[in-house]
Amino acid sequence: MRLLLVEDDLSIQRFVERALVEAGYRVDATADAKSAEALALERVHDAFIVDLGLPDMDGLDLIARCRAQGNAAPVLILSARRSVDERVKGLEQGGDDYLTKPFALAELLARIRNLLRRSSASQKEPSRLEVADLQVDLIGREAKRGDRVLQLTPQEFSLLEYLCRNVGRVVTRTMILDHVWHMHFDPATNVVDVHIYRLRSKVDCDGCKPLIHTIRGVGYLLKYA
Amino acid sequence: MPDNSRTTAAWRIALWTTLAFSVGTFVAFFIVYLLMAREFRARSDAWLTGEAQVLAQIAQHTPRDGLYDQIVKEVAELAMQEVPDERGSQGQRLNYVFFLRVNPSANGDILFVGPGSRDAFWRAIQQAHFVVGIPQSIRVEGWQPDFRVVVQVHEGGSPTYLGLSERGARHVLHTLMERFLWGWTGTVFLGFLISYLSTRRTLRRVERITETVARIGSEELDERLPEPAGSDEISRLAKTFNHMLERIQASVKQLRSVTDAVAHDLKSPVTSIRGTLESALSADNGDGWRDSVGQAIEGLDRVSSLLNTTLDVAEAKAGALPMKRVAVDLPAVLTQLLQLYMPAMADKHHEVRTHLESGIVVEADLGLINRTLSNLLENELVHLPPGCRIEIRLRARQGYTELVIEDNGPGFPPEIVGRPFERFVKGKHSPGHGLGLAFVEAVAQAHGGSVKISDRNGRGATVSLLLPVAEKVLPTSSVKSPIHS
Repeated sequence: MRLLLVEDDLSIQRFVERALVEAGYRVDATADAKSAEALALERVHDAFIVDLGLPDMDGLDLIARCRAQGNAAPVLILSARRSVDERVKGLEQGGDDYLTKPFALAELLARIRNLLRRSSASQKEPSRLEVADLQVDLIGREAKRGDRVLQLTPQEFSLLEYLCRNVGRVVTRTMILDHVWHMHFDPATNVVDVHIYRLRSKVDCDGCKPLIHTIRGVGYLLKYA
Repeated sequence: MPDNSRTTAAWRIALWTTLAFSVGTFVAFFIVYLLMAREFRARSDAWLTGEAQVLAQIAQHTPRDGLYDQIVKEVAELAMQEVPDERGSQGQRLNYVFFLRVNPSANGDILFVGPGSRDAFWRAIQQAHFVVGIPQSIRVEGWQPDFRVVVQVHEGGSPTYLGLSERGARHVLHTLMERFLWGWTGTVFLGFLISYLSTRRTLRRVERITETVARIGSEELDERLPEPAGSDEISRLAKTFNHMLERIQASVKQLRSVTDAVAHDLKSPVTSIRGTLESALSADNGDGWRDSVGQAIEGLDRVSSLLNTTLDVAEAKAGALPMKRVAVDLPAVLTQLLQLYMPAMADKHHEVRTHLESGIVVEADLGLINRTLSNLLENELVHLPPGCRIEIRLRARQGYTELVIEDNGPGFPPEIVGRPFERFVKGKHSPGHGLGLAFVEAVAQAHGGSVKISDRNGRGATVSLLLPVAEKVLPTSSVKSPIHS
């Protein structure tokens, strides 16, 4: 998988590039729209990550030019502009997803995965998810740890499902709020954590190997290790 | 004042008003002058026509004997005496009349009564073409001005001419014109002077305002314009300027306090983040640095959330929040939010009671409403001591929907009572930034609603949010169920 990263702030470009390389992508990074356009013509990229405020051209114009040249790779827009208007404009003008700065790397990676999955042939939706001895039945909406059926509220089930779908990957509180409750804001209180604690008390009961881990400062991770 | 007085508005205004005044008065006078001249002529023409007729009649009927000439002349002289004997400034006669009749006898004798010699008049009459009974101006050699002459013929007799040179009337008109011109010039000059001086006086007041305003920089917003008594335009201008300065000063003050507050609120997390990272760097306790870094990231998240909220509140206060209004099913949104908050509430042993009327739809931006309601719920979560009772009521009343959140906690701290919706105003022990209620109010107002708080003297607090209900049906926002299906 080769990605094209266009970001003029070099400190941001460097750490995003490093994170993407660590996640197993090959990355062409550039700081201006002209060279980005040249790179896009030269090589085939699976996705673009484009900052809106480029020195020589607006990111939206760059996207429009690439689209005009027949390039259909999905685009993730990075922007410091937070307003809903900008977001809508970005998505209308050829962007496939929008991420405002500052962002968590976990969220950036999740969104790129999402874009790549969307553009590749649609995968078959699984009917059940399994992590170690945890089984989540998506059709019967029932979860089991070993032989023990977990008594989950509908919200807890959705939360567990989301964590299982991202097994081995960190999810942030914002991502959880977005995907489980469909809300886009950062709560100042620990509302999400309380849900996670409750879920954990049911999933990781005494004597089981813990599956739900807290990554301080980032979010949560479901993994068997 | 600018050095060149010709560039001033006072000069131009005075010039134009004077010009308009002088042209107007001159035209008016000229019309009067023409009407008078016409009237004078009409009167003398009427006299001429009538008198000539009478004289022609008498001349015709007087028996033609030796006394004929004598009688006709005397009658003519008598008639001429009807013309006023006006005198000019040097005492000279002004009005002249002549009578001329061609005798019917074969020798063509001419009967003439009038000034000077008969021949000049006779020559002039012979050169002109008369229509009987209609007066005409003719030039007589040696006489100024022209004579008005009429010819009358009685019953086929010979023509009788009567002429009048009415210099008297002309003299009256001339004198009038001359005096008017003098008076007019004086009035115009005086008018210009008065208008220039009074305009300049008025505009000096404007100039003073300009000077004062020019002096007011961003630092000396305390200065005010002197407000003259009365309520003319310039006093109102001064008052309006002062109001504007008042508002600008208030905004600048608020801006400064907001900047100060943001700087202050940023300093402590930045200090703690720096300290945490520094200790992580110097520590050599294996994996302990992970915890510090996590702590630092959490601190940074708080900083970025403070920045975002500050900007959002600033945008909302300025009325610049981009809104996408849809029909929002308020009870459904609230229920969903409560599902999110209920476990946290239960952790703090709060008892939450809800009375939500169903089917209340407001026309609002779903994201903003979500954040507004979550702000209110977070307030309860953060500020109440454990084990409180919270009552949430939602009901429709007269075009509005009212959301009341009531608790039996300690109520609002005295620091914020009176200005709970101001930015960065918060209780002494509040962990927040004092932006929550400011945002709630800004969003409520942006939606045409309002929010108010009341404090029951230490026995609880009430927040009530009023939003107008949707009038027309809009595309309903799908409040997605929190449960994946």
